[in-house]
Amino acid sequence: MKTNLSCDDCRRELTALVDGAIHPAVARALQSHIEECDGCRARLEEHRAIAVWAARLPAIEAPAWLEGRVVAAVTRPARIRAFVRRAGAASLAASFAVTIGLLALYPRLAAHFGLPSAGSALAHTVASTIDFLVAIPKQLAAEVLFYGPMARQVWLAFHTLAALPRAALVVLQSPDAQVAGVLLLTLGVAIYWILRPRSHERGIGHACLAL
Amino acid sequence: MAGDDRELVRRCLAKDERAYRELVRAYQTPVVNLAWRITGNADDAAEVAQETFIRVLRSLHTYDPERPLRSWLFKIASNLALDLIRRRKRRPLALEDLSDEDGPAIEAVDTGPAPDEGIRVEWAEERFQALVGELPEHYRAILHLRYREEFSYEEIAETLEIPLGTVKVRLHRAHENLRRKLNVRGTKP
Repeated sequence: MKTNLSCDDCRRELTALVDGAIHPAVARALQSHIEECDGCRARLEEHRAIAVWAARLPAIEAPAWLEGRVVAAVTRPARIRAFVRRAGAASLAASFAVTIGLLALYPRLAAHFGLPSAGSALAHTVASTIDFLVAIPKQLAAEVLFYGPMARQVWLAFHTLAALPRAALVVLQSPDAQVAGVLLLTLGVAIYWILRPRSHERGIGHACLAL
Repeated sequence: MAGDDRELVRRCLAKDERAYRELVRAYQTPVVNLAWRITGNADDAAEVAQETFIRVLRSLHTYDPERPLRSWLFKIASNLALDLIRRRKRRPLALEDLSDEDGPAIEAVDTGPAPDEGIRVEWAEERFQALVGELPEHYRAILHLRYREEFSYEEIAETLEIPLGTVKVRLHRAHENLRRKLNVRGTKP
């Protein structure tokens, strides 16, 4: 069968032809071109050889540690949670047993070592706990009593400072204060004029001489 | 998805440690080999395989059971291996990387004889293996999936998440690259 397929068109499809990933009609057209074209036939053989050798490329074995490490990594959180649960349950059980044991043995131990009776020891513990709990708010109350008046004075001082601008405004509204202000301003300008720095007279010595 | 895999996944989701081991044992060799083919280093391949299985087992609840488990594993492994390569930048940019997959390729300089001169296939397999190692990593991944794992073009496209046309173009370019180099070096040793 004659086809009008060019060698370039044919060679572009040779890999797919080797892989059988081509439409049967196209494959037939390619085959008929290849039968007539030595160059494309040789090229097809090369692609076939590449496919065969690619399939024979060497392989390696997975390392022996892989399975263990993967499983350990995946199950680690669950193991830790289980361990914590078990440890928590065991410690609770142990503390319960110790408490019961101490309660059961306390009268005998108290008699042997001269300790107070169970009732008075319990009352003493409760009283100590209450004392401790009460001591904290008591201390806080004392601190408040000590620093409270000082804080109040500071607060009043701030209030006074806030009233100062208003007082200054009232004072400036009187004629005497206005005259005094003008005089002071004039005096200030005069002093500046006398003491102003000149290009050849710089420094405090020249200022004193000018005065 | 094979029935065995479905059952295996179900057991893994039930946190069955033996199922974890079975899954790793069943797929560790192909996963390691895909990673090895991409990275070119056995230690890196083992590291990639370990990370692949850990990720797979931890995210198994997101797995779509309608998809083949093998494809999912290979997808994660190839992504990890390609990421590793990119991070390390071991290999300089290849000429083929500069071309658009669907556009015209930048042709490698071929100083060998023209194919029409009737070259006989006289290449050595060892040389072939070395030349595969010189290919860009995504070409190596496709070659491995096609010829070692016998994936179809569609399966490769799904696994590597690339269009079918790109699979075809890359595979052909990988063939052409190997063919040219084999001719240059094979006929003029």
